[in-house]
Amino acid sequence: MTLQTENSQLDVVSSRTIHQTASQIWLRRLTALAPLWTLLALGIFFSLASPSFLRPINLNNILAQIATLAIFGTGMTFVLLTGEIDLSIAAVAGLAGMVAAQLHMTLGYPEPIPTLVALAVATLLGCINGIASTRFRIPTFMTTLAMWLIASGLNTFISKGRTLTNIPEIATFLGSGRIGGQDGLRVIIVVAAVVLLIGHFILRYTRFGRYVYMTGANKSAARLVGVNTGLVITLVLTLCSFTAGLAGIVSMGRLGSAQPQEVPSYLIDTIGAVVLGGTALTGGRGSIPQTLVGLLLYGTLRNGLDNIPSIDVFLKQFITGIVLLFALVVNVVFAGRSARDRTQV
Amino acid sequence: MQTSTVIELKQISKRFQGLQALNQVNFDLREGETHALVGENGAGKSTLMRILAGIYNEYEGEYLLRGEPVRLHSPAEALNRGIGMIHQELSVMPELSIAENLFLGRQILNRWGLVDWKKMHEIAAEELAMLGFTNVDVRRPLGTYPLGTQQVVEVLRVMLSGAQVLIMDEPTSALSPAEVERLIELIDTLRKNKRSIIYISHFLGEVMRVADRVTVLRDGRKIKTLDKTSTNVDELISLILGREVNETLVQTTTHSDKEALLTVEHLSADVFTDVSFSVAKGEIVGVYGAIGAGHFDLARAIFGAYRFDRGTIVLDGHTFRPDFSTSYAIRQGMAYATESRRKTLLMDEPVYRNVTMPHLNRIGNLFPLLRQELDIAQPVIERVNVQPANPLHAVGKLSGGNQQKVVLARWMAFPPKMFVLSEPTRGMDVGAKSEVMNILRGFRSQGFGVLVISSEPETVLEICDRILVMSRGRVVAEMANENIDKDTLMRLL
Repeated sequence: MTLQTENSQLDVVSSRTIHQTASQIWLRRLTALAPLWTLLALGIFFSLASPSFLRPINLNNILAQIATLAIFGTGMTFVLLTGEIDLSIAAVAGLAGMVAAQLHMTLGYPEPIPTLVALAVATLLGCINGIASTRFRIPTFMTTLAMWLIASGLNTFISKGRTLTNIPEIATFLGSGRIGGQDGLRVIIVVAAVVLLIGHFILRYTRFGRYVYMTGANKSAARLVGVNTGLVITLVLTLCSFTAGLAGIVSMGRLGSAQPQEVPSYLIDTIGAVVLGGTALTGGRGSIPQTLVGLLLYGTLRNGLDNIPSIDVFLKQFITGIVLLFALVVNVVFAGRSARDRTQV
Repeated sequence: MQTSTVIELKQISKRFQGLQALNQVNFDLREGETHALVGENGAGKSTLMRILAGIYNEYEGEYLLRGEPVRLHSPAEALNRGIGMIHQELSVMPELSIAENLFLGRQILNRWGLVDWKKMHEIAAEELAMLGFTNVDVRRPLGTYPLGTQQVVEVLRVMLSGAQVLIMDEPTSALSPAEVERLIELIDTLRKNKRSIIYISHFLGEVMRVADRVTVLRDGRKIKTLDKTSTNVDELISLILGREVNETLVQTTTHSDKEALLTVEHLSADVFTDVSFSVAKGEIVGVYGAIGAGHFDLARAIFGAYRFDRGTIVLDGHTFRPDFSTSYAIRQGMAYATESRRKTLLMDEPVYRNVTMPHLNRIGNLFPLLRQELDIAQPVIERVNVQPANPLHAVGKLSGGNQQKVVLARWMAFPPKMFVLSEPTRGMDVGAKSEVMNILRGFRSQGFGVLVISSEPETVLEICDRILVMSRGRVVAEMANENIDKDTLMRLL
């Protein structure tokens, strides 16, 4: 008898919660997809404003332009998910390119040794970032800032200020090769896609990926269930440096030379694109698909403005900034709203 | 000797959403008097104190300050009128020097409008010397001094900003015995300087030493105001609890006759000293103490989440290595839940992920699979009766009681040997509370060891076989839970 009433009450409760969550889930999906709507709006705008924007060759261009950022962005997504940051990526990339070029040209090592050594150096620097941050409890903002200077300084030192144009063939292939002849698929896009896919797989399906989210979402909770959050952060910084090194090799291949100075805009562009996709700087929220959307948004914005001939060249950067700020506000406001919905206890 | 009345409260009532926190309370404070407020948690002490300090300004009744009716709208206004409050959680700035802390927000300026450091240091040293603190360097950061000194500086700061009336909320709960003595001396000095003090404390022995008068509150009502000279601790306890006190002596037992599962010996850290006890298989042991007694950090230390300096922990015959991590403790068969659910759950994540969190390394090797995780989570959340019993539901949307059940279910997925649970029933309704209690009884009958750490006497009295009482970082009593009442525990604090 009592059991009966309890059960029927329970049914009412559960059906109501299911109902509520269904509509809430829809609302959340719509708001969580804010960056996608922004991307769509921007795409429509540019295709109306410029006849050349939607041409396959231009779309292909956008992908090639964001491919380097995508490799950087994959590692950066991991780092931001733990609530940390890596400011050294552009410098590490520059150094990796220079190491590979020096080993190849000056020291004459055969392929693939220069490339592998360059990647190993980048990975090692990331490992140092991680150990310095977690062992001595220094904020990653500071350790990676120091690493920026270290990597950049090493680059200057081993290049002696010279630009090297004789670069390893692997880099040339990865950066500017094509599969299937002159008009074939650009290798750089394939590399970026593979890196993004692997990143997505690790984050979504592996235990390590879960630890990354846990560490960023609630560090104390992660520690209290036995997760070694220091190790997670170290691994994430190592991984980010590895992707930075790879991005450096690819970018060198694309530009056709190893520069004695890093491309500083890589850092800001990467963080900008990842955050634009909705990954939170505070950790715990974000994903590789979101990073992909952020990258596409960023690429569309940059490329789209180039395709509108009537815009004053000297105004372009200013307009990019304004649109970026606007997009961030839209994304963050919506993402923030859906997050607030979730934390009512 | 005729003394004047500084503060008089008449017929003060305050409601919080249907809950009568204060019911027609009268209170008066005389000049140069130390007036203690005592009562159980929820008796209305803090509400009354907040009205006095201007934090709450919506209430019924009259507030007379030196005979003049007032309504204080903010703590700042209260301070302007000479009423300052010293919170239990000190609001000092540990990075700043003692002098800077003393003159926080009202630095002395020289004629150029710049900070006059010399003068500030002089005055700070003078003021401290007057209170008997001659061997402190007022230029050193306050955080480098012990808690007792920090408290004195806070008291002095409030006084220097013109307070004639000081409200002290549990000022001694985190102090060492020597520091308590210093504070009591300080209060005597203040009394001689005609300052009035409202003193709120759980420690009745201390209250009897410090206070001139004591007001007892119970269930939002004032029960009685007594002169210190005409009362004693036993009478206070019976007034606080509203019944005759149990006069039986405490039977102290040091261990149960069953086989020990967890043995802690001579464990010491900064906030607790030389703690030893054991928990047997199929036994629930309670650790009771007031907030600040160090018992919550003791629990963390046993789980590897708080660094301790000395002592050994043995679980089921295995001695823990020093400096162990939480994952080591888990591997040895320890389970732990903090007093704060926010710190232990991923509120945005579904129930099943919160359940499998500690076990990801045991399931599916590198790749946790949804199916597997649900298979693990579903039975345990049904066993503890999480409502709704949907493993996909976000934990943050569950009630407090159901969240606590998730915390327990988490550890039941792969049963440990020993549960260490801080405040397992805090902030829950009666129904959820009794469900959680039943889960704990289930642990006992299955032969697990359970350690319950709490600052609520009801919790330990209801569920525990044995109770340890901690006060200021030390175990002051250990007894079997037979014929023990709240008053026994209160007397031991």
